[in-house]
Amino acid sequence: MKAMAHKERIKFFFVIPGILWVLIFTIFPLLYSLRLSFFQARLGQDQTFIGMGNFQGAFSDYRFWNSLSITVFFVVVSVSLTVLLGLGLALLFNRPRRGLRFFRSSFVLPIFTAPIALGYLGLTIFHEDVGAVNVALRMLGVVNPPGWFHQVWAARLAITLVDVWQWTSFCFLVLLAGLQNLPEELYEAAQLDTSSGWGIFRHITLPLLAPVLFTVTILRLVETLKVLDIPFSMTSGGPGAATQTYSFYVYLVGLRNFNAGYASALAYILLLIMLFISSFFFNRLRAIYD
Amino acid sequence: MDKRVVTLVGLIALLSTMWFGGAAPTHQAGPVRATAAPTILGFPAATELEAKTAQAAFNAADKGKPDPAWKGKKFTIAVYSAGQRGAISGPLYFWRNKFTELTGATYDIVEIPFAELREKIYSDFTTSAYKYDVIINCSNWYGDAIANDWIQPIDKYFNEPRMPKWDRASIAPAVANLMKWGEHWYGTNNDHDAQVLYYRRDILSDPKWQAQFKQEMGRDMPVAMDTWEDVLEIAKFFNRKDWNGDGKPDNGISLHLKVGGQGFFHFMALSAPYVVTPYLGQPPTKVTKYHNVYWFDPETMEPLINSPGHVRALETLIALSKAGSPAMWGWSLGEAWADFLSGKSVLVFSWGDVGSLAEDPTQSKIAGKLGARGIPGTKQPYDLEKKQFLNLSKPNMVGNQVGCSWHPVLSKFAKNPDLAYYFMAWQATPPINHWNVYMGWTGVDPGTTYDWFPPAGKATIDEYVAGGYKADDAKSFIGAFTDNFYRYPIFQNYIRIPGTPEMMEVWDVHLSEAVTGQVSPKEALDRTYQDWQKIIDNIGRAKLLKLYQQSIGYTK
Repeated sequence: MKAMAHKERIKFFFVIPGILWVLIFTIFPLLYSLRLSFFQARLGQDQTFIGMGNFQGAFSDYRFWNSLSITVFFVVVSVSLTVLLGLGLALLFNRPRRGLRFFRSSFVLPIFTAPIALGYLGLTIFHEDVGAVNVALRMLGVVNPPGWFHQVWAARLAITLVDVWQWTSFCFLVLLAGLQNLPEELYEAAQLDTSSGWGIFRHITLPLLAPVLFTVTILRLVETLKVLDIPFSMTSGGPGAATQTYSFYVYLVGLRNFNAGYASALAYILLLIMLFISSFFFNRLRAIYD
Repeated sequence: MDKRVVTLVGLIALLSTMWFGGAAPTHQAGPVRATAAPTILGFPAATELEAKTAQAAFNAADKGKPDPAWKGKKFTIAVYSAGQRGAISGPLYFWRNKFTELTGATYDIVEIPFAELREKIYSDFTTSAYKYDVIINCSNWYGDAIANDWIQPIDKYFNEPRMPKWDRASIAPAVANLMKWGEHWYGTNNDHDAQVLYYRRDILSDPKWQAQFKQEMGRDMPVAMDTWEDVLEIAKFFNRKDWNGDGKPDNGISLHLKVGGQGFFHFMALSAPYVVTPYLGQPPTKVTKYHNVYWFDPETMEPLINSPGHVRALETLIALSKAGSPAMWGWSLGEAWADFLSGKSVLVFSWGDVGSLAEDPTQSKIAGKLGARGIPGTKQPYDLEKKQFLNLSKPNMVGNQVGCSWHPVLSKFAKNPDLAYYFMAWQATPPINHWNVYMGWTGVDPGTTYDWFPPAGKATIDEYVAGGYKADDAKSFIGAFTDNFYRYPIFQNYIRIPGTPEMMEVWDVHLSEAVTGQVSPKEALDRTYQDWQKIIDNIGRAKLLKLYQQSIGYTK
């Protein structure tokens, strides 16, 4: 009995480091930044309680709305493209073919590249004078190729494409694993009823793959909502603030301009947006399972 | 061992390597230690001439009396990242062995990318880490450093026998003021930033092009380029013409305004003569509510940044942008310089680095063809008092000290402050500072009497030729800087109050919005005005007003 009690106690001992880790590095910063969001807290100034002032300030700050709208564009385009391309590639490679292993390995390489490095790579690829993209476009007869760094929509597209290039392989990998786990028997049975590949995909593959698709989509959503490195290194948020994403703006406010109170409020608004989106998706996922 | 286990361990190792390798910062922010690079006379020099001239400077420099107790000590310097032969950071590497030879001590150099430099240094102080003993400081950070009590005055060392003596009186007053706050010195002499206009001397003096200009424009080419309007006309004339004979159309002017690429500094220099007007009594440099002001109303702290003068200057900048490569709004500083240095544009206005780089055969095709003059003026400045544009017979010329004028300051928390100051003072001694100036690769720009040619100073052409300059290029380049610092009647004042970097950041964004056609020049500057008002209110208007008045010497 005593040995049992000791055994019970010791298991808590082993959990303590984990609990401390979470308390120090997750819970404390979370609570501290929540507190900061209600204060005017700038470098070198005394902190002053201002209630909801920072949150109210955000809604009247045109740079807040600008960065939010850019992020929405980025999220919609990037998530759609990565998931669709990833799905397409997964379907393509979900059958025996030569060199499959090589292609699978090659496709995942971009995931392991630091986004900031990819941003600098993007800088050279999309360079308006000597970048590979514009050189190729000129060879194809385009007289005035896009100004990737000084035209608003071209710049937005450029950072999106770099992100798509990095994360398509992630979607491909997860969706391929999902496809390979689908039961063969269903396909064999379906092939007795129809020869339409589209019909099989629509009525069998897609519904069965839906949970995986939802998971991939939500992971991508959360990731793209936080994007900072690529616009930081590639366009510095320009031209103007045309590629200044939400996280980029929070970074500028908090770490460049040291306005910690306002930056915390902005970060909490992003957290709320993410929670809302995640809840929506998880509810939908639950509905599918039910 | 089970094959699957081996595979799993291998996979984990591979992923860890890739993950941590990929997640590692792209720039080394830790100290860069001395390496066993080949040296000449103890210097990591590129040529024997470089080493010999450096040795002569070393011999001539005052060395004070290094304290034997410093032997084996070390301190840390934070500087923006440009590498061992790069601008501003390069001299730190170059002189390190000699510092050890003198003192028995050494220093670590922490290079930080420009985009992260301020936040890294500010974070170091605010988190009480105090890793850096000496900071190679941008002059517009003073407001924050002083307000937060991060750096210490250095006056107490001036008469210390241990310390090398440097010549404060030789520094151009405009730059010397940037090393001081109130009555105290905080920085030692190093770099002297200002912007001047560079041009292709061979092209503008070519009778063929002058005749063609007259034929097309109906008047003589205004080669003196006293006004921005003249510059615009010349840039337009040469733009899209194959004036360098490579069979392709070339550019009139080279500009840049990519966000974060320091383009706003260039607008600062361009716009000064449109906004800053002299006091009509004596002295003309007297700061009043309406004269010799550029940034704020010195009585209310209301930003002047959207004044009609600023708006017209921005319109001029946009007009100039149409006389160059269409891609240049996506360029950073280096790309704009490269366009000029590779012989593809006739004009560029920027810092002294262009003058030095023009002589570097690895980067330039225009050595021996360089012309330079002080920043042009305008005959139509805006009078803040009369609230109208003037129509002058002579252009309004305004000197500038635009840029950072990078120089060392001593942290209040330095572990070995005496040793650190010794280094700062030793680097500021005239022979070493002048060597850094005439060796172009160092990025140290001229600004002291020993950099100027007689009668303004005592430098010789031979010194610059030894540094790799063509004699005529050096005359023109140094002449332009001398004009800027000593011959312009008035000066644009320098902003260095707390919050300056934040104001520059939003200004940079709004200028980019204007030049890329997202908003009109007026709207861009109105946005800047609104943002600056918010920043001022946020930091405290009364506090900033007092500091601003002190920093520009305004008294009622």
